[in-house]
Amino acid sequence: MSRLSRRRRRLPEAWRRPLAVVGGVIALTWLIVAVAAPLLAPYDPLAQELPRLAPPGPDHWFGTDQLGRDIFSRVLYGARVSIPLTLLLVVLSVLIGGLLGACAGYFGRWVDETVMRFADLVFAFPTVILAMVVAAALGASLTNAVLAVLVVAWPSYARVTRGLVMGMREREFVLSGRLLGFSAWRSLRLDVLPNVTGPILVLATLDIGTALLLLSGLSFLGLGAKPPSPEWGAMVSSGVEVFDSWWVATFPGLAILTVVLAFNFLGDTLRDALDPRTARAIKVRAL
Amino acid sequence: MATRSRRLATKAALLPVMLTGALALAACSGGGSSTAPASGGAGAGSGAKTLVIDTSFDLKTADPGRTYEPTGLIIGKATYETLLTFDGADVTKPVPALAESYELSGDGKTVTLKLRPGATFSDGSPVTAEDVVFSLNRVRDMKGSPSFLLDGVEVASPGADTVTLTSAKPNPALPYILPNPGLGILNSKVAKANGATADASDKAEKYLNSASAGSGPYMIESFNLTGQVVLKKNTNYWGQNKPVYDKVVLRNVEAATQRLNVQRGDSHVALNLSGDQVANMPATLQVKKTPSANMIFLLNSQNPKISKITSNPKFVEAVRKGVDYKGLLELAGEGSVQAPGVIPSMMLGALPPDAGATRDVEGAKAALKESGLTNPTVKLEYPSELTVNGLSFQPLAERIQANLKEVGITVDLTPAPVTTALDNYRNGKEEMGLWYWGPDYPDPSDYLVFLPGKLVGLRAGWAEGADTALEAEGERVAAIVGDDKRKTAYADLQTKLNAQSPFIPLIQPTQNIVTAASVTGLEYHPVWTVDVADLGAR
Repeated sequence: MSRLSRRRRRLPEAWRRPLAVVGGVIALTWLIVAVAAPLLAPYDPLAQELPRLAPPGPDHWFGTDQLGRDIFSRVLYGARVSIPLTLLLVVLSVLIGGLLGACAGYFGRWVDETVMRFADLVFAFPTVILAMVVAAALGASLTNAVLAVLVVAWPSYARVTRGLVMGMREREFVLSGRLLGFSAWRSLRLDVLPNVTGPILVLATLDIGTALLLLSGLSFLGLGAKPPSPEWGAMVSSGVEVFDSWWVATFPGLAILTVVLAFNFLGDTLRDALDPRTARAIKVRAL
Repeated sequence: MATRSRRLATKAALLPVMLTGALALAACSGGGSSTAPASGGAGAGSGAKTLVIDTSFDLKTADPGRTYEPTGLIIGKATYETLLTFDGADVTKPVPALAESYELSGDGKTVTLKLRPGATFSDGSPVTAEDVVFSLNRVRDMKGSPSFLLDGVEVASPGADTVTLTSAKPNPALPYILPNPGLGILNSKVAKANGATADASDKAEKYLNSASAGSGPYMIESFNLTGQVVLKKNTNYWGQNKPVYDKVVLRNVEAATQRLNVQRGDSHVALNLSGDQVANMPATLQVKKTPSANMIFLLNSQNPKISKITSNPKFVEAVRKGVDYKGLLELAGEGSVQAPGVIPSMMLGALPPDAGATRDVEGAKAALKESGLTNPTVKLEYPSELTVNGLSFQPLAERIQANLKEVGITVDLTPAPVTTALDNYRNGKEEMGLWYWGPDYPDPSDYLVFLPGKLVGLRAGWAEGADTALEAEGERVAAIVGDDKRKTAYADLQTKLNAQSPFIPLIQPTQNIVTAASVTGLEYHPVWTVDVADLGAR
């Protein structure tokens, strides 16, 4: 009895690997930071009252920037700008891409043709360039940068979902549902959806890193966050001008790096946990 | 199926890593390119002396008649000579160069110049009045960038050694315009043989980009618009101060790399470092910090269609009192000065340093209250990637935003790429703008463009008739002849501008020039940045 209950409480194999733990801890830390930034930050992230370009020290852990703002506080507040937007972005691309892909895969024919050719069109452009074009056309602001990334991010979900749904469509349980008179929506929701969620979730988690990078990249290029907003990409960009004061660009850069890595680790873990074959392989290795 | 989704996932996992790398690389390289060291290197060899100058190229041509860019002016100053010049960095008084003497007529319409005997071009032929007339007519009629300098000026040579320049309107600025390297004198025989004509069909640019046809102390050896320009000594130079270096290499190098190069002895001179970049330079290098002639200012649109807020005079007063000028100077670095008026501190007619506005937050709040506006929000536009003397507009705008917030004005920053921003600025569509004015020539008359109905005035929506008294005063001042009278007249005009114009002069950022210990005689010049021929070696 006791053995059984212990086993039940243990995490699955894949989640117990060091990378998964590291990823989980870092991601959780950033989420906490994003929520509690005002409590954690020692200074107002916009106040220009400190000595300019002070190196990291006991008073300012990450130093100060060229306007005399505390970089530590700005990096913490930056989490409030970047992380929620990135998550929103990924959720939206999953919804849009997933829905379009599911329709394409389920209905086939002209719906499939239209949606997938459109997706191919987007795929044909280099992601960053297309995002830059969209952001530049809409005007520089964070909202527009999110829209720009959304434009380039949805097709991968559409493609994956379509493939999965197409495979699922011919399966007996889906067909029998249809024969029982399920509507297309009901069939998609009840029979197909639960079976495609796993891979999409993996893709989404891995995509968080990419989306954050793209978003920061647009801000870095001046197409995203507007000053004085403490956005990480914009902070790295301002640090480039004061090359010798390495701390100005390094710390926001590290923030981007850690978030991206953490979500990549989590994505890998999720993939391993959800894919029965890799899950088994890990188990064998662990044994 | 599983294989497919895994491959996809692996790809997706790789992408962020690659992008991180790209972003990090972009951050490290500072967005610029490094240039391979010059073939001669910077090491002071025992034989031929080579001087290596690193600068961010703003260069379009080596044809003096088409030159108007900073790097082009450095090259033009070294390879050609003008009728008049300035002594060192003093731009308040033109001095003779190819002309031995000059005289401005009492009505300010005619400048008579007597040519110096004995001046020769690099091929040994003498500089004649014919060369002068041809060169100046060519600049005026070819319609190149500097042709406006001679708009409406008739050039004639009544005698073999005399040249007269006649303008229809009084033009007391002409002696201050003539030292511009764009007005360098060409060897007309050589130039004509290579396609030079005194009209728009001129074809000499190609030749003049490969060889120089002037009387300057240096000649062009090789010329590459984006890489490097090599100048060699003019062994036939007629002047007293012979060139010291056998070769001068100008390299196109991004500011951050300039700093590294000059520190490790890979170059002798770095021209474009910002105040923050020259901080903590090793003691073995010489750092020259001079206020530049670039005047950074804020404009508040007076066009009620553009903005009901900024066209309110009391609002402008609130902004003028609300800006922390000392704080801006701190950002611009040591050596920068507050611009007391629109005319930069080193020019004739500049206001004394203490005439500049000072911060008065209470006064600003009171003015804002009087304006009747409550919690106004304005859009401040500025070029996002433009730098002036190594100083970016971004921190300045952010500082102004923070300053005005204390007063109760919300400033919405809207940086834009320079081409987009410039369009709005030139068409007078900006509500509030942060820009700079670099002098076309070091004469106060160049600043009359800030008056209502004039070039920059219109950009601030300050139309003709907006202030008739001030406009009439501008007309009067433009025609005054005589340095002392002009000095007081321009100072008075600026005092009025400071009180009632939509422009708020902010700062003149410092021009930082770093040189190796071996280089002597360097002085920053507001027109041609640096005169290569003045540089000596220790």
